[in-house]
Amino acid sequence: MSAKKANRFFLYLLLAVIALIFVVPIFYSLFNSLKSQQEILSVNMTFFPHRPILDNYAYVFARGGKYLNYYRTSVVITVLGVVITVICSAMAGYAFAKLPFKGSGVIMAFILFVVTFPLAALLIPIYIMEYNLGLLNTAWGLIFPNVMNVLPFSVFIMRGVFKAIPKEMEESAEMDGCSVFQTWLNIVLPIARNGLVIVTVFSFYSIWGEYTMGKTLATEDSAMPISVALTMLKGDSWNFGVLGAVITMTIIPPIVVFLIFQKQLVEGMVQGAVKG
Amino acid sequence: MKKTWTRSRQKSVWGVLFVLPCFLIIFLFVIYPLFYTGYLSLSDYNFIYDRAPKFTGFSNYAKMFLDSDFVHAMKTTLFFAVFDFSLLMVISLAIALLLFFCKRGTWLFRTAVFMPIVVPASLACIVFSWIFSENFGLLNYFLGTALHLPALARPWLTQPGSAMSSILVVNLWCNIGFETILFLSGLQSISGDVLEAADMDGAVGWKKLVYVILPNLKETYVVAGIWAIIAALKVFVEPMVMTNGGPGNATLVLYMYIYNNAFLYFNMGYASAIAFVLSGMILFFSLLNMKLNSEEAER
Repeated sequence: MSAKKANRFFLYLLLAVIALIFVVPIFYSLFNSLKSQQEILSVNMTFFPHRPILDNYAYVFARGGKYLNYYRTSVVITVLGVVITVICSAMAGYAFAKLPFKGSGVIMAFILFVVTFPLAALLIPIYIMEYNLGLLNTAWGLIFPNVMNVLPFSVFIMRGVFKAIPKEMEESAEMDGCSVFQTWLNIVLPIARNGLVIVTVFSFYSIWGEYTMGKTLATEDSAMPISVALTMLKGDSWNFGVLGAVITMTIIPPIVVFLIFQKQLVEGMVQGAVKG
Repeated sequence: MKKTWTRSRQKSVWGVLFVLPCFLIIFLFVIYPLFYTGYLSLSDYNFIYDRAPKFTGFSNYAKMFLDSDFVHAMKTTLFFAVFDFSLLMVISLAIALLLFFCKRGTWLFRTAVFMPIVVPASLACIVFSWIFSENFGLLNYFLGTALHLPALARPWLTQPGSAMSSILVVNLWCNIGFETILFLSGLQSISGDVLEAADMDGAVGWKKLVYVILPNLKETYVVAGIWAIIAALKVFVEPMVMTNGGPGNATLVLYMYIYNNAFLYFNMGYASAIAFVLSGMILFFSLLNMKLNSEEAER
């Protein structure tokens, strides 16, 4: 019995060490953001800050206008991208689940197939197209490709959620004289709340942290989202404290959302990955 | 009767309308680009000098064999992918098993392992470049001060071998969470009957693991395998942010070579051809993985 207990203790200890390794980088950037530049570069460096200071955050808000600009760009792209994704996937998911038409099965299958495609095979034409349309270095030029990137998974999730709704719901709404659109908006969407949450959270953190398309389609400093812009600073600005503050400000929103919606998100990811 | 007919017809009209916005986005940003990449891959097109793509047949594909940088990038990518794929699968499965067996009180550990999923990869790369930096990096500090092994400390990102391993570590950090979720859900879907029957037969500990649990994860190997193959072959952010393909071209992977050709040299045709090769590799290995796992299941 005691051997079993010792075994168990060892397993928990192992888990704890693994978990610690996973959070070290997150806390490292948080702790660096609370240190002064001297402390970060001192010979006797430490993981924890000696005397936590908020100077770096104060600097970002007082004189870090360019960081706030990158941040604003990311907020605009993410908010609009998430809204469009949620609307498009809620509509298409409902159509694929409940409004069959000729060829809908083929289109659905193709959209799922798209998930496995590497962006590299699409980015070159997208770049040329956006160059011709004058969309390079604009917010919309990043919003649409980002939506494309998260749409297949989102449509799939929404279709699954709508399929699970019993058709009696809609039939009784029909009896009351609701049009298809009214049924969708007033009856079905409120029931599909859970799916909407998954799609919102998933598309939020995907678009917020997207790098490859941002790097390719936003080449001017003024148009860069924060996930791209900060990687460009790394070389010339060794101001770890301030950079740590900006990074922390950027990774906190998705982490908070993740902590709140972890359960739904994990279930959603399993559905999306396994069936997709 | 007539009423239901019009209703179903009405429904299919609404169906088309509802799919339309989604379809337009997919058409403009996936279907059209896919065909255009195919066409470009058969053309010579320097975006700066040429006014239009010039059709040249398969010369781009032929050129690859003579391009030593391409061959190097291919080798680097395959080398990276083999290690990344194996480690990703093994470590994720191990963590999932740990979480599965330690049922109680693991929410905190679980959250910690899953958290990197939502952290922007490019920013994680910046933080990791601090951790790996030579003079004030956390890793060298840890090796020197805490473990008293200063001999192991090194400039991680500026030596070829260790630069590659550093990128590997970051890629694992970013992807293990998602793979663990897949394995954990696979473990949870093994029916209680199977586990009980194993208990009855007296299969315990390692025996239970090897003979009962692992063979019952077939479907999970397929799914987790595909995602691991994709993650390994399209590695890009890590070398781009942390090493810029260096030192020399030690960490120049295919995806980055595509990027360089397309957006630094503007050789859109050649870059498209390499992009198609990479897509083909991902497809090939995914199908291979599917086939291997389904054949074993039949036996």
